[in-house]
Amino acid sequence: MHETRPAKITSPIVDLGGAHVKLMPIALIVGAVGVVLAYALSQFELQRFSYIYLVNFAFVLTMCIGSLFFVTISHLTRAGWNVTLRRIAELYAQCLPILFILFLPILIPLLLSSDGLYVWNQGGWSMTHATNELKDTVANLPLADRPPLEQMKAAYLNKGFFALRWVIYFCIWGGMATFFLRTSLKQDTTGDKKLTSWMQAFSAPAMILFAASIVFSSMDLLMSLEPLWFSTMFPVYFFAGSVLSSLALITLTSLYLQRSGRITDEVTTEHYHDMGKLMFGFVVFWGYIAFSQFMLIWYANIPEETFWYEYRMNLENGWGVLSIILLVGHLFVPFLFMMGRTMRRNKNLMFIATIYLLVMHWIDLYWLVMPQYARAGGEIGFGFMSVLADLACTVGIIGLFMGIFFLVTSNKPLVTLQDPRLGEALNHEVH
Amino acid sequence: MANETNNSDDKELVGLLAQFDDPTSLLAACNNAREAGYKKMDAFTPFPVHGIDPALGIKRSFLPFIVLSVALGAVCVGLGMQFYTNGGEIGGVSTDQSPIFPGYQFLISGKPHFSLPANIPVTFEVIVLSSAFATFFGMWIINKLPRLSNPLHRVSRFKRVTNDKFFLMLEAKDDKFDKSDSEAELNQWGAVAIEEVNQDLTDTKLPSWMAPMALIGALLLLIPPVAIFSAYGATNTKPRLHVVPDMDWQHKFKTQVLSPNVSDPDTPEYLFANRRAMRQPVEGSVRFGSMETDSEMFRGIKKDFANASMTVGIKSSMLASTGPQDEAENLEQWITGFPEGFEVNEKTLARGKERFNIYCSVCHGYAGNGDGLVNQRAVALAANGQATWTAAKSLHDAIVKDPAANPTGRIYDTITNGRNNMGPYKDQIPVADRWAIVAYVKALQETGITPPGAEAADEAAPELEPAKEE
Repeated sequence: MHETRPAKITSPIVDLGGAHVKLMPIALIVGAVGVVLAYALSQFELQRFSYIYLVNFAFVLTMCIGSLFFVTISHLTRAGWNVTLRRIAELYAQCLPILFILFLPILIPLLLSSDGLYVWNQGGWSMTHATNELKDTVANLPLADRPPLEQMKAAYLNKGFFALRWVIYFCIWGGMATFFLRTSLKQDTTGDKKLTSWMQAFSAPAMILFAASIVFSSMDLLMSLEPLWFSTMFPVYFFAGSVLSSLALITLTSLYLQRSGRITDEVTTEHYHDMGKLMFGFVVFWGYIAFSQFMLIWYANIPEETFWYEYRMNLENGWGVLSIILLVGHLFVPFLFMMGRTMRRNKNLMFIATIYLLVMHWIDLYWLVMPQYARAGGEIGFGFMSVLADLACTVGIIGLFMGIFFLVTSNKPLVTLQDPRLGEALNHEVH
Repeated sequence: MANETNNSDDKELVGLLAQFDDPTSLLAACNNAREAGYKKMDAFTPFPVHGIDPALGIKRSFLPFIVLSVALGAVCVGLGMQFYTNGGEIGGVSTDQSPIFPGYQFLISGKPHFSLPANIPVTFEVIVLSSAFATFFGMWIINKLPRLSNPLHRVSRFKRVTNDKFFLMLEAKDDKFDKSDSEAELNQWGAVAIEEVNQDLTDTKLPSWMAPMALIGALLLLIPPVAIFSAYGATNTKPRLHVVPDMDWQHKFKTQVLSPNVSDPDTPEYLFANRRAMRQPVEGSVRFGSMETDSEMFRGIKKDFANASMTVGIKSSMLASTGPQDEAENLEQWITGFPEGFEVNEKTLARGKERFNIYCSVCHGYAGNGDGLVNQRAVALAANGQATWTAAKSLHDAIVKDPAANPTGRIYDTITNGRNNMGPYKDQIPVADRWAIVAYVKALQETGITPPGAEAADEAAPELEPAKEE
């Protein structure tokens, strides 16, 4: 029958309640202990620890960046259907400024020493055929005496500029996230429709800034691990993973909050159905971009580009197996799983699917980062201790991330209360 | 055209059409009809109405499954087609041996004949195209299209369905349908108006002239394929059609052709008396910028050794390419410094470095270690027996470095005319730049960083992968 639901929030509980007060310190302590334990378990070897730390940092960073994208594109397209889900994305995006603290363990060692995560931080990285002794002699030479390629790239890849860029990225992301959340919270109390117009007007230039920041930050964070390699498709690949993981995270959070009774009927099966469609789309987009990047490099067959894939496709060193797992697990399985309408409308299946996609996203980042450590001569080691260290680091960062989320959320409403398009969202596909 | 004296025998009741004024009442009526047990009915609206499918009791379309199975079939067709045309191999037997239609085993940049990454884009396109067709034509079949006439269009009220009215039709084929009962029910559900929809049976026959016309039309359509088939493999003495004659017959002569007759056939005349279409340079003329008299500058050979009979002009470069590479090479003839017209300074060295990096580094490497990318790749291919290749020389080899064995004049000659495997670069690099490269090569040899073990690596075929751990 034709039914019309009210255009206003009727359910009383719309914030985290008292639970976060208990959860936040626990999450932060678990996180801190986990990270420190991981560092200890890797025998205080900064190099080894930094790589797995980078994987996990990139994992939480991409989810937050994707959430910021979700908020911005919602305003840019004047979307009405996702108004009830937008607050969750706004809260995740608001974690970005605090994530800068988690970035410091990457940035500070880079600034203090030359030997670390990023090989471009010391000389000799382009001398791939040279012996280690020669590399060591070149490592500490002044810039003018280093090979020409290193001199050329040093204009971009150097400590100072790298740090400056990351400050700029976090300013852009933090500024955007703060603006959107603050304005949205203000609207919760005033109900001023002009605020929505402001956010819409702001979203267009912000999107341009966002695009630039994600392009350069992806190259800085992950692509520059191998400064000899370059791919113009890489930022798009990074973007596809970010958006996919954030969609999964937003859906997962909403499902959890609904299950624990904090969100009631503000989010309906129709919303999950649409989020499922978006996730399906971004699964395909991820696969399309991943293949496009691979195909061009594979076909042109130029050694200066192929070596990156050659190492990851090698079945003997094990990375080839991971590549196949990624192809099947990140593309084929979710493609078939998310295709069906029944799947997308089933909350339990969606719960599983979102967790699965997040795990796959983590593996994707592991696949991007960790082979660089092995290539640089490091021993990843899949013994009990190494796996435990990786696990501790992963649990630690996710714990810290959850703590940050609880901190950001505190008593804020989990659904926008007076957005002019709230009625549209509440009545999404209702007849 | 319709028979004006329609009686009840000439028409058949198709169903009852009920009009509603808004989507809400239409949806309510649909729900009522479904609950009352009607199965064969349809709703007509000016715009898509959400929820009409469950209200009418329409099951979910099976079109997606048609598309999915067609798409999966397209994967097989796309891959199979490429496997076949590229001469893929099954159990060591290639399809290029196929008697019906042999595939072509083209070797494209060293890729395998059948390689999955290269075939995915084509397969993807085949999937997209066939899925689109499956969707489009599947939709036709499911909706029983094309339908040339629909009795609904004879109801004048129905015309407003594209504008602002909503209709529900109960079909007479339905088991529950009863004209008077159904009409009462529709009234009860809030129909604004109810009309009978009748199928006119009088003019369902084709006009008598149409069948023969259709036959003639079909026969006419056969003419083009028959004409093409008959012309297939046939020979013809007539000249082909020229659509743009002044492009096909241009008023010019191609280089190095005989001049055709430009006059009557009886009194032939040619552009030049000797039947050439182009003039030769006058004996002894020198092409602008080709006054290559200075043998030190242009050939790297001392003046004393310069062949007295050396001709200037166009021929000099041709002679130069045959002279210096004789079996018994006189090392005395090469100059050991630089010619008078060339000055070694910072500017020319920088120029030499730039040119070296463009032309020489691809094989000899930026540092002159003989580890350029082309060389690395070729050596790796040669190691697999896929190519023959003489490894590029390291410029830091003792013999290359030795000024007695390789005086500057000889290096200049190597760049100009090539040596062993290396091709001549005289057409690509001007004389002054060649000397600049010579100067830069000497500077490299004097000062360049030679990685320890680089000489050994040159002999033992460097790895293909540039960043292998050592």
